[in-house]
Amino acid sequence: MSDVRQRKKGAGEPVAITRAQLDAQAADGDDKAAKAARQQVPADQTYSLASNVVLAIVTVLAVITRTWSIHYPGEVVFDEVHFGKFASYYLRREYFFDVHPPLGKMLLAGVGYLVGYDGKFLFDHIGDDYAKNNVPYVVYRLWCALCGAGVVPLAYLTLREMSVSIAGATLCALLLVFDNALITQSRLILLDSMLMLFCVLCTFFWVKFYKQRHEPFSAKWWGWLAMTGVGIALVCGIKMVGLFTMGVVGIATLVDLWELLDIRRGLTLRVFTKHFAARALCLIFLPFFLYLVPFYIHFNILINSGPGDAFMSMRFQETLVGNAATAGAVSIMYGANVTIKHGETSVFLHSHSHRYPLKYDDGRISSQGQQIVGYAHSDRNSVWQMVPLDPEYHPSADDYEETEEETKRGVRYVRSGDIVQLYHVMTESYLLTHDVASPLTTTHMEMTTIKEEDFEQRYNETLWRVQVVDADDGDKLKSKKQLFRLVSHQHRVAVSSEKLVLPEWGFKMQQINGNKNTNEKTSLWRIASVEHERIVDGVEIGEERSDSGKPPLNFMSKFVELQKAMIHHNAALTKPHPYSSSPGIWPFVIRGISFWEKKEGLRQIYLLGNPLVWWFSILSVAFYGALWLVDRLCLRRGLDDFGANARRWWDRAIGYLVVAWALHWLPFFLMGRMLFLHHYLPAFIYSTMVAAALFDFLGRAVFAHVPRRGGAAGQAVPVGVWFSAGPSIAYYAVLAGVLAACMWSFWYFSPYSYGSGFATVEQLRAHKWLSTWDLQYA
Amino acid sequence: MDTGLRKRTTASTAAARAAADAASEPLLRDDEDRIHPQMSPGIPTMPRGSIIVALIITVVALWTRLYKISLSPFVVWDEAHFGKFAGYYIKRQFYFDVHPPLGKMLNGLAGLIAGFNGSFEFESGARYPPELRYSVMRFFNGLFGALMAPLAYYTGIHLHMSQAGAILVATLVIVDNAFCVISRFILLDSMLLFFTTLSVYCLVVFRNYQKTDPFSPEWHFWMFMTGISLGAWVGLFAVALVGLHTIDDLWDMLGNLKMPAKTYINHWIFRIAYLIITPLSIYVACFALHFGILNRSGPGDAQMSSLFQASLAGSDFKSNPLELAYGSKVSLKNNARGGGLLHSHVQRYPSGSEQQQVTCYHHKDSNNEFIIMPAWDQPLEFENTKFVEHGDVVRLVHAQTQKNIHSHRVAAPLTAADYEVSGYGNATFGDANDLWVIEKVDDWTVSKDVKRIRSLTTRFRLRHKSIGCLLRSDGVTLPQWGFKQVEVVCQKKPDDNSPSNMWNIELHVNERREYPPRACLCLIAHADTSLNGIQLPTPVPPGNANTYRSSFIRDFFDLNVAMWTSNNALTPDPDKEPDQLVSQPYHWPFLIRTLRMCGWGDHEIKYLLIGNPTVWWGSTASLALVVSLFLGYVVRWRRGIRDFTTLAEWDNFYMAAKVSVLGWFLHYFPFYIMGRVILHHYFPALYFAVLAFGFVVDHIARKLPSVLHIALVALVAAVAIANFLFFADFSFGMSGPASAYANRRWLKTWNIYS
Repeated sequence: MSDVRQRKKGAGEPVAITRAQLDAQAADGDDKAAKAARQQVPADQTYSLASNVVLAIVTVLAVITRTWSIHYPGEVVFDEVHFGKFASYYLRREYFFDVHPPLGKMLLAGVGYLVGYDGKFLFDHIGDDYAKNNVPYVVYRLWCALCGAGVVPLAYLTLREMSVSIAGATLCALLLVFDNALITQSRLILLDSMLMLFCVLCTFFWVKFYKQRHEPFSAKWWGWLAMTGVGIALVCGIKMVGLFTMGVVGIATLVDLWELLDIRRGLTLRVFTKHFAARALCLIFLPFFLYLVPFYIHFNILINSGPGDAFMSMRFQETLVGNAATAGAVSIMYGANVTIKHGETSVFLHSHSHRYPLKYDDGRISSQGQQIVGYAHSDRNSVWQMVPLDPEYHPSADDYEETEEETKRGVRYVRSGDIVQLYHVMTESYLLTHDVASPLTTTHMEMTTIKEEDFEQRYNETLWRVQVVDADDGDKLKSKKQLFRLVSHQHRVAVSSEKLVLPEWGFKMQQINGNKNTNEKTSLWRIASVEHERIVDGVEIGEERSDSGKPPLNFMSKFVELQKAMIHHNAALTKPHPYSSSPGIWPFVIRGISFWEKKEGLRQIYLLGNPLVWWFSILSVAFYGALWLVDRLCLRRGLDDFGANARRWWDRAIGYLVVAWALHWLPFFLMGRMLFLHHYLPAFIYSTMVAAALFDFLGRAVFAHVPRRGGAAGQAVPVGVWFSAGPSIAYYAVLAGVLAACMWSFWYFSPYSYGSGFATVEQLRAHKWLSTWDLQYA
Repeated sequence: MDTGLRKRTTASTAAARAAADAASEPLLRDDEDRIHPQMSPGIPTMPRGSIIVALIITVVALWTRLYKISLSPFVVWDEAHFGKFAGYYIKRQFYFDVHPPLGKMLNGLAGLIAGFNGSFEFESGARYPPELRYSVMRFFNGLFGALMAPLAYYTGIHLHMSQAGAILVATLVIVDNAFCVISRFILLDSMLLFFTTLSVYCLVVFRNYQKTDPFSPEWHFWMFMTGISLGAWVGLFAVALVGLHTIDDLWDMLGNLKMPAKTYINHWIFRIAYLIITPLSIYVACFALHFGILNRSGPGDAQMSSLFQASLAGSDFKSNPLELAYGSKVSLKNNARGGGLLHSHVQRYPSGSEQQQVTCYHHKDSNNEFIIMPAWDQPLEFENTKFVEHGDVVRLVHAQTQKNIHSHRVAAPLTAADYEVSGYGNATFGDANDLWVIEKVDDWTVSKDVKRIRSLTTRFRLRHKSIGCLLRSDGVTLPQWGFKQVEVVCQKKPDDNSPSNMWNIELHVNERREYPPRACLCLIAHADTSLNGIQLPTPVPPGNANTYRSSFIRDFFDLNVAMWTSNNALTPDPDKEPDQLVSQPYHWPFLIRTLRMCGWGDHEIKYLLIGNPTVWWGSTASLALVVSLFLGYVVRWRRGIRDFTTLAEWDNFYMAAKVSVLGWFLHYFPFYIMGRVILHHYFPALYFAVLAFGFVVDHIARKLPSVLHIALVALVAAVAIANFLFFADFSFGMSGPASAYANRRWLKTWNIYS
């Protein structure tokens, strides 16, 4: 602070010097600065023997912490229940659905395939025993653990490439090696270790590319640029988080391009356009293309019908072998006995000779008409017949002209757009809706039936328009696959149902009513079965046994459909989970996630960060932000302590990591779905890299060998000059202290990560630092 | 703009170097280079005849806003709300609404002028009674709407547009059908729009003085006025616009190394005083006035603290018995900000125990009444009044259904970490889970040592006797099955200090006639057989008015929190909101949806909320154009091409672009996050888009010869005016069948007729 004051007094001269320097530097572009920076850390020094030895050591340590007692527990833990199951489906080649892109699960399945596993076990429940079911779970876990361990050397190398000293990069590596959350998440069959690996890999590629910027369009330059694109595709292939990674690279690219655009750089517009096009090609088109590849493989592996069928459209399901819904579809004719099944909840449209109660609990009055309900099973009361318009009541019925085929076969087919009556065979009455509120949902209309003798007044209310989804008017209605709506001709409401159960008087069956919004999914129905004299063995006489009228879906249509479904279902993951948490608490180790627990031995696997590492990381990020702000304010007032070189590094290296941290965390605040602590892990890795880089910068500056005030005029030496000095003894001492504390903390909390348990409850309670850690047995 | 000054660089590097020299001259604001504007002529010279022009604009605007204003003698659209609120001011009854009070008070004033006595209820679609001069109230709104136009004109001038450009902006404001129709009824929108326009005008004028003559009297005046107009209407988005501009401004000055520190600090101090403290004081003052006027008990009582209610004239709380006794019939108020009254009704939980729902409710009804009963094994004594004391075990019996407030180890419906609270059993049947320990926290009036529980002033907790959890309500809104009331839970890990876990007695009845409540009959059956014959205890003595007081600050915060929470609870309910009312924000800039403001019968006077397509589509395109121009200029500058001769010229472009685009953005994008949006929420944003429209047309036209400049501006204005006249009946009222307007249905989604 005193420095600032002093220099402010004599504002005239020093400021002029700084400005002149700045201008000179700006005029030369960043060439000079960058060259100087490269001279500070020559390329060979980045991969010096010492550095490589350290790299090997931290890698080995990472593998050890992540694979330690990896066989334990030999039971299904937490989300292994999902991802293990998905791997099995790949091995069984049965179609499944998940909200995440396929690459991660496919890699897992690949591991299973390599060891010859057949995917017999389906990981149905947390706690199921692996050994009994003969599952190669250790191999799966080893794969994940190795991916998780890969994060460490890559983070180390990234920092080395960013000119961080060996000591600083080691700090980062060891903080990651000894973080309990990373260990817990990496040693189980989950996608996150792969996700983290690819995130860091992508960052590494970008840094490598950025360092080639002085030799644009060289082979290396193209190579690393393309690899950055590959990195983006890999992250996107695991989880949608890849979009954040893409955002980070995108921001860095825009900043980069902005500099290239500067006329003082001397690039012609043509060259600039080339720069632009190269980046667009490698960072947008290439990743997109690569992103499609796993999907292509996905569709080629999963050729059999499986649990994921129901998420997809009928046309998609047609492409799956053995899909029940599309087998044996026939055209529906008037007068055939049909059962009608609800699309979403699979209940049958059902009626019986019981009536609605006169008065409901809330005092409303019903029509006391015959009940229409949804029943999970089909019986004689689920049988309906379609009846064409009666010319006696409805003059337009005369218009219909039979087609040649119909005349020949002596039937009339139900077609999309037809207006029909629905005849309930058992009670000899006709489906109707009228302006009476339905039993449970008062905003919807009640459904009931009337007998033929009441047609005189109410015929129009018994008319329904058949609207087949994805069909044109006049197309035949088919059983099984086609979804359709029944919209009241008079009241414009659609027969609709939600999972609402009627009270005793309705035999706990499902409510069915008329929905004014006719476009909702709740009003979709399909014909489940057809009985007619012309239909023999599920095929109409004179028809080929062929399901598909239209050509099978091509890859892009399948991809688009699956992608849409993934986004839709991802956003719909809002069902509360006891261990979900809000993003605001993640960096502070406020609360973990219980993965697995066992009463005997007080064992619990509890996903929780190493508190010292996490707090150190988040504090460092905050400190970086504060320093950044102070520097900019000072600079604005003409005080330049950093110097242009140091600031460039400060913005481009640490700044990049800070932006990466922010973009991998902040967007979660806008998401409506359920969120979990492990969503923060990629951001956490970036924050740890920030912490180590900042530590290195400050450590080398504060404990520098260079005197803080030098030069003839007694001017302060810019921080950047301090930074060019190597680490001192004091720096190493502080570093060792920080590391020792974090390693102790790792050891102290390791029972949470490995599930090794505690001897006594008292001991367990002592390890509960915060009351908000909801440990099972404490 | 002198085109000769622009240099086009060739592809060769040498030329680029040459251009680099040019680029080092001051062209654009550039933080790194710290270049400072020469003090530019920031105050535009008023064009000749500007006053006459402004007068003409005002007259025309008045005509459009007031023409046939009384045509429809029915309550149109949201007049049903805001007319009613005006009535409450006249009747001086306390009501509750989610909007700040100033606009509604102004409508109340309008009602006063119109001779409205508050007796008309403003039922939607009802015919105005002959004695209510509704046209005066509408006229009042129309005035605000009309005054937008001259303000827009002067804003244009102060944004350094040409005379023609400024007139264009005013014209576009006048001829927008949406601005027009929304200003013609008893609503808040015309005032909101007026104050938004006023804020922008003050900000722009202030900025010009900032550039030329800081700390002059005019500088003080216009900054102060900016603060006043912000405070008068708390548009948080307008506050954000002024805030961002101020930060930009201060950052700019921070780089001026020639400015003495003292001057810089003064800039800060006056901005804090004028732009933070002034608006806040005005905002608070509006509430003081609001509370001052509404001094009688009314329909909004239950939103406020019990003590506040006691201070309202006509509240019966003042005669509440002072101390709580067994057998008292009470309602229980939650002490969190905006807390409701403990409530139960016959409907059951759809999940969990499926027992009777217990909620918090913000309106008074008999389902809020509970009877304080002793534990199951204790008899209710009738001979002597037994007061409830700290630590007593009680039951809370719902007066209407006889159910006991009950909790058990079943997860609450929404806050799954806590236990469910339900209504269980009846007067004779129940279990130990019906028992609650009453724990006194403190009392506003008496010391902590007093163990008895007092009405209104004592805060207490209700702790479940067997589980130890605390009865809690924390503002979590239940879905439709719970009628959007507030969830009540029993907090598993009890937080003794949370106001959400504290309650006080609000209504309190303990009189002979009401006593004993039906619920207790069974318990006294042995004592006597007939109700009339039993020996009744002495009634609990009533308190007096002085016992119950509340503070303004507390009331202010209570009301604001309640406004905030109920605003959040107003998410759209697909079952209830009619389809045609709800629109999506992305519909607005493209005018995809229109909105019927009243019944659509053939013989009714019909009003359609529809924008002038020329204005709406043109303004949306202009926003894109302004952004493109801005980016284009910046990129060209980066390439060494000069588009502006002086820095002041660039600064003025930057200011106009900032105000219009940033203003539009801030007034538009938040609606993507909000749940409840209707077409008219776009109108403030539209004003900024209109500014952009006028500005960009003027900016481009200025580069042309002056004849073409005028011609282009006139052309745009003429198209907009023609469009307005073609659509005029939508704003002035359509009579006859709507199908007569079929040729005006340019988009299929416009619901002009069905």
